Amino acid sequence: MENIKKVLSQFETEYIEDYKSNYVKAKLKNADDLLKVIEALIAEGVKSCSTVSPTDFIEEDRMEVNYFLEDMKTHRNVWLKVDIPRELEKCEIDSITPLMPSADWHELESYSTFGVKFKGHPDLRYFLISTDYYGLYPFRKDFDYLEHEKKLIENIAEITNEYHDEYEEELEKADPNSSQTILNWGPTHPASGPIRLKVTADGEMVKKVDLDIGYVWRALEDLVTRKDFIGSIVAVERVCFMDNTNPMICYSQAVEEIAGKEITPFAKYMRVILGEVGRSASHLVSMGSFFGNMGLMTFMMWMLDIREAYLDVLDNYSGARIATACIEPGGVRYPLEDYKSFFASVRKALEKLKKHESEIDGIFMNNPLMTTRAKGAGVFTGDDMEKYYLCGPIARAIGEKVDVRLDEPYAGYGDLEMDYELCDGGDARDRLRMLHKELIQSANLIEQAMKKIEEGIEADEMNPQKDHLVKMPRKMPAGEAVSRVEWSRGEMLMHLVTMEKSTSPYRLKIKAPSVNHTLVLDPMLRGKTLSDTSLLYGSMFICQGDLDR
Amino acid sequence: MIKVLDFFNYARSKSPWIVHFCSGCCSLEMLAAMGPRFDWERYGYIMTPTPRQADIMFITGLVSKKILPALLRTYAQMPEPRYVVALGACAYDGGPYNDSVSVIKNMTEVLPADVFVAGCPPRPEAIIAGLEDLKEKIKRGEPSASSQGGLWKQMKF
Repeated sequence: MENIKKVLSQFETEYIEDYKSNYVKAKLKNADDLLKVIEALIAEGVKSCSTVSPTDFIEEDRMEVNYFLEDMKTHRNVWLKVDIPRELEKCEIDSITPLMPSADWHELESYSTFGVKFKGHPDLRYFLISTDYYGLYPFRKDFDYLEHEKKLIENIAEITNEYHDEYEEELEKADPNSSQTILNWGPTHPASGPIRLKVTADGEMVKKVDLDIGYVWRALEDLVTRKDFIGSIVAVERVCFMDNTNPMICYSQAVEEIAGKEITPFAKYMRVILGEVGRSASHLVSMGSFFGNMGLMTFMMWMLDIREAYLDVLDNYSGARIATACIEPGGVRYPLEDYKSFFASVRKALEKLKKHESEIDGIFMNNPLMTTRAKGAGVFTGDDMEKYYLCGPIARAIGEKVDVRLDEPYAGYGDLEMDYELCDGGDARDRLRMLHKELIQSANLIEQAMKKIEEGIEADEMNPQKDHLVKMPRKMPAGEAVSRVEWSRGEMLMHLVTMEKSTSPYRLKIKAPSVNHTLVLDPMLRGKTLSDTSLLYGSMFICQGDLDR
Repeated sequence: MIKVLDFFNYARSKSPWIVHFCSGCCSLEMLAAMGPRFDWERYGYIMTPTPRQADIMFITGLVSKKILPALLRTYAQMPEPRYVVALGACAYDGGPYNDSVSVIKNMTEVLPADVFVAGCPPRPEAIIAGLEDLKEKIKRGEPSASSQGGLWKQMKF
């Protein structure tokens, strides 16, 4: 950490300070210094960019750009801020993409939604947003969305027209005598979900992949600014329904940090239980769809059967199977009236997993057909991880020790016994096996957390009827916070900014792992065959919900 | 002659095929309805990857502006008679995304639905119950709501 501070102190800064235990927070005085700072940081080992998040301070007439950088090998983080003018013509900053390729799509997103022009970006274009927002920058505070919404019907008619014209153009361009084909993989493909991979293939070989995303763009980051702090969890949990508990933990932590509140130990362990249940439910679907993408639906059905038991846990606790809204700022939403029956439902799910353990392992994880197909396919190395900011199970399948639960312990994870679960191959097969290992690890963590709660209740230190929530202020003080959790697909980062006496978030940046995992599809698929597309796509466990937000 | 047509409707209602198209998060509960616990194949429903063989399309929750043309084209590729089932609050009025800048709030004005299933997301039991209602409609031989009107007819996609 001292080294990073030394590097930053060579430049003109407004402040350099410690933030949490593993962050250095600094604000540059001069936007022109940015590239030199980044170069110096790369030489120090900080090679990856987690996300880029502009904040529009309309009253102070400035745009503040936040960079979240990380040294993934030693887990040192840098939070870099820099001010630029707000007027559209002058709203420019140097692009860091040539130095850190992981920032690519995050910069495009900032450009499309806030109008920050990144000078020197290799391919600056509108991205993610639908065509009716081109040039309007919908996340700026002076954008009048109600006025725009009045022309909804005209806008959607125009969008459908453009879609039609694009199709016609492609048809005209196609050359029947050439061996080149353009294949639109998605959004109606059963394995793809709402994303389009425009695969250019020569015969069977993939030449390049153009990724077209934004099909489920719901503008959640903008939506929360119109909701209050509790109501925002409804938007935040809808980042992705496969694992919806962990985003709520992430958001709640950020709000608690600004309010300066500490939650009770009971709520901390409940967050571990609910978070791990969410993670397991998501991993089960991901594992099932991995085989589904290879053409075998049996495993999917098995996995869905086990998943139902996990969903019963959430149902038992919150009354909803998927959209639980069960974690809110201040703790967890509901008291445990009868903790024994809740724990019984959790144990039932864990036993169900255990019962099928040997079958999963014997029939599917060591399946010779799957091994032949997936071993050595889509290999990543440690350098790729730093270059593209791969995280979560994808990074751990390479053998890199990356896990926010251990790097920056949150909720109750600091008191539980756990270690990095790792594989070493970095190929598609190892990514699948990684999920299986994590499933067992999750079961272990849930057991530990339940034991801690039971001990606490017996020792009269915890009260499951009262300890679930601490009172949060209705109006927040001004402040900003960064919160990270290990989500089922990787690191999730939220950057929350509030204003004095505000009742709703001023700005919430949600960084989700699928963005980087989709970005890497193009370099990964080049030179592979068409039939590898669906296998390798399935091995990245991409969810469009968190890709588009 | 009437009796023969009735028989077609009866046969059609027994095994409706559903096209694989997902535009929002309700598709996850569709997956659960497909799964072993709820198992909608008991009622004759089955997913098909191609719209050419499908009878039913789901509007799975939210429809963003960008996916609308793809959804309409998938619908247009289905053979007549074709039916639409709207899942969740989003398909009705935007639901939790009612304030969002990119979600279409009046989706069923664009593509009218035959059955609405309430919930966010609707439980698998509710989805199956909604499909059972649709079966009755198919059996009676009523024309689908989307063939009667809707903004989609004026659009080029």
